[in-house]
Amino acid sequence: MSEYLKSKEAVKLPADCSISAIREVYEMIRTALAQRGELEIDGSCVDRADVTSIQLLISTAKTGRERGQAVALMAPSQVLRSVIRRAGFPGDAEAGHHFTTKDVG
Amino acid sequence: MSKPDWTQAFRLEATELLETLEGALLDLCERPDDRDLVDSAFRALHTIKGSGAMFGFERVAAFTHEFETAFDKVRKGEISPTRELITVALSAKDYIRSLIESPDGTDAIIGDAILDDLRKFVAPAEPHEASAVPPPSAPPVAAAAAAESGAAAVGWRLHLEFESHILRNGSNPLNFLDDLSKLGPCFAVALTDEIPLLDALDPEECYLKWDVTLHSDCSREVIDDIFMFVIDEMVLSVTPLAQSELPAADQHPTTAPDVNVSTAPAATAPSRSPASHSPPSISSPSEPRRDEQKRGDDRATATVRVQARRLDEMMDRVGELVIAQARLSQLAATSSDPSVKLIAEEIERLAGSLRDTTMGARMVPIGSVFGRFRRLVHDLSLELSKPVDLVTSGEDTELDKTMIECLADPLVHLIRNAIDHGIEATAARVAAGKTEKGRIELHAVHSGAQVLVTVRDNGAGLNTARIRAKAEEQGLIAPGAELPDADIHQFMFHPGFSTAQTISALSGRGVGMDVVKRTIETMRGSIDLSTRPGEGTTVTLRLPLTLAIIEGLLIRVGEARYIIPLSAVEECVELTAEDQRARGRHFLNIRGDLVPYLMLRDILQSTVSPDTYQKTIIVSTGETRVGLVADQIIGNHQTVIKSLSKLHSDVTIFSGATILGDGTAALILDVAQLVGLAQAHADKHHLNEAA
Repeated sequence: MSEYLKSKEAVKLPADCSISAIREVYEMIRTALAQRGELEIDGSCVDRADVTSIQLLISTAKTGRERGQAVALMAPSQVLRSVIRRAGFPGDAEAGHHFTTKDVG
Repeated sequence: MSKPDWTQAFRLEATELLETLEGALLDLCERPDDRDLVDSAFRALHTIKGSGAMFGFERVAAFTHEFETAFDKVRKGEISPTRELITVALSAKDYIRSLIESPDGTDAIIGDAILDDLRKFVAPAEPHEASAVPPPSAPPVAAAAAAESGAAAVGWRLHLEFESHILRNGSNPLNFLDDLSKLGPCFAVALTDEIPLLDALDPEECYLKWDVTLHSDCSREVIDDIFMFVIDEMVLSVTPLAQSELPAADQHPTTAPDVNVSTAPAATAPSRSPASHSPPSISSPSEPRRDEQKRGDDRATATVRVQARRLDEMMDRVGELVIAQARLSQLAATSSDPSVKLIAEEIERLAGSLRDTTMGARMVPIGSVFGRFRRLVHDLSLELSKPVDLVTSGEDTELDKTMIECLADPLVHLIRNAIDHGIEATAARVAAGKTEKGRIELHAVHSGAQVLVTVRDNGAGLNTARIRAKAEEQGLIAPGAELPDADIHQFMFHPGFSTAQTISALSGRGVGMDVVKRTIETMRGSIDLSTRPGEGTTVTLRLPLTLAIIEGLLIRVGEARYIIPLSAVEECVELTAEDQRARGRHFLNIRGDLVPYLMLRDILQSTVSPDTYQKTIIVSTGETRVGLVADQIIGNHQTVIKSLSKLHSDVTIFSGATILGDGTAALILDVAQLVGLAQAHADKHHLNEAA
């Protein structure tokens, strides 16, 4: 998994993606999306997430579509998956609609 | 930009919530059946608990959880909010405050004792629990609700929209979805249309909305209970589900977080307005709150929380600006360049406007301090076994925030005295033909450039004879000296008159009144007192609107200049030759009234020869008028008050200093002290004449 992420230079979400840290995560993703043609977001380390994390991922996916940039969520952690499901999205991270999800490794 | 201090934000929020809790608890004493009060108290507790846990105040969260559990019995109607229970609940509230403000210095033993007390109230109700409260999914209730709506009792359709700031408050919409899932098979669809593109996203706001289909025979009340703490901050639409809307066999419900879920894809879930969800045949109880919510929105956008320190700094800057502007105006007056005069006038106008706006921003409704006294009266009433009602009015009256802070202690003193020494014991009141309950009125009103704050009780009134006897005993007056009652009452404000020994000796009041007077005078205010035997006592505090900048009258005595607060000035007259010939008398005839006057040059020890035509400024405090004789009245002056150093703390006739337009300093005369001095001179004159 690490080799794959390294080669694609995925943006790695921090452990805390809850509201207390979301503003910094937001700045990180916004900068990354502005600098890259396509964006892969590594969610494997996330152990705190909430509605703000979900909204940020969906907004990123929307923005990518608007700009013609591919956005994929890589290896979402169990915590992140759980929050996505609780928030009323199907299966694995709103597969196929908002952004591509990939289980890596 | 610095990161927000969340801990401080929690403390601020908790302070407001604790005030809300205290207000609700005190109101419950009077209206124990008021369901809204119970809900308000419960909401406050729940929010403190949630936010406390979120921001790392674990002890606060744990204690409040226990408190909340006990108070839940009240919410469910299993136990009544008796006065005794409220008293314990108030102690619990105090303990929470202490845990928040000083976690290390707060002993857990106290908290345990309070919780034990709370449990004593809760325990007896346990046997009734099963019968008193219907279980959350009690079928009869659900059936009744469904029957009312004309729908089959198969479930509910919900639409959830939260206010955008809800996440910042610590609320988590996912928890509500989880709670719904516990009631039965639950299908939640997240509506994502409102989520903006990244550049427009505020990551801390809530954009998601949800459509939820819940298959449960629970009652509507059970659903409302889930949202009770956020109902003011959301739109909740709940409609009964028809039989035909039962889930298809292959549909999977939203369940608890650790269970796999399957919901309809967001792509196929159009974002619908609540109206399209809700059949008009049934109205949601939460719908009327929409207007309230709208008003809440308006309020939220119309106000902003600002640190008091910043307001103080802003006021300081404005003060410096006013001083600089005065210097500019003085320079412009000597300039022959019309454009300089023009811009000086423009800056004067803008500085005046900025001053008024800044001072307005510092104004706080006095109700914020009145609220504290309800608790004081409640506690003292219990402690002294004297039932007392506190009636407040004029809470909207605004006063500078510094004044409000300074005012709290004197008012506590006055109210404590009124209950302790003014209001009679119940038996004595009944014997006197009065109501069993005593009454204390707290009233505030604007009066010109002053605010009058009145504390009135309907107790026994002052015992003039006892005060007089005490004054004679202390050598303040000669035995048998003739003095009006009002003057005798003034002895209560004499330092040392109100000692602990005096309290038991006097049936009237007097405890620490000298402290009250000193504090009020420090605020450039004054105290009026009136009493009627058997009917009660009224103490009126006269306070200036602000302590920062005042309108002053600039005068000259000898070569020095002084400021007299304009709010104290009644009129200015010339000291006539006739008045001067009768200088030994030190009285002016003002339209038939004899007004004592002081030669300021004597008091201020001016060695310069006096002007030929001296001026007298008539000042007043309350009912007392005094003339102050100066060499020249220069005119109005925007006075930015600067405190005197500690070295000058014993100089009582000055209340501060200010900087004039030419950069020199002028002292501000303390009118109350000068009036007292003139009174003393007048009394001496009377005594001499009598001799």
